[in-house]
Amino acid sequence: MWRVWLLFDPRRALIALFTFLFVLALLIHFILLSTDRFNWLGGHAAPSAAAQHMSTLPEPAKP
Amino acid sequence: MADDKRGSLSGLTETEAKEFHGIFVTSFIIFTVIAIVAHFLVWQWRPWL
Repeated sequence: MWRVWLLFDPRRALIALFTFLFVLALLIHFILLSTDRFNWLGGHAAPSAAAQHMSTLPEPAKP
Repeated sequence: MADDKRGSLSGLTETEAKEFHGIFVTSFIIFTVIAIVAHFLVWQWRPWL
C-alpha cells in the first residue's frame, strides 16, 4: 500500500483529503442542525423518531 | 520502480514513501478511533435508527 505515495504526491493528496473531509463534515453538521431531532442548539426536547413533526410546545389558547 | 532513485511519479523515494505511509496510517487510525467515539456518544444521545 505504501507504493501509492510513489504515484500520488503526498502534499496534493493531503490537501485533497483534508478539503474533502472538511466539506463533508460541514455538510453533515449543517444537515443535522437543520433537523429538529438532531439540532443540538435548538433547546427543544428530543421528539421521538416517529413523531418528529409534532411540536413539544402546547398550542396557544384561542380567544 | 523498485529502485531508490528519484524516478517515481510523485518524486518520492521508496524510503520516503514508506516513512510517509507510516505517519499516514497512524493518523488515519487516530482519526478513526475519534470518529468511532464520537458516533458512540451521539448514538447514546439520540440513536438514529
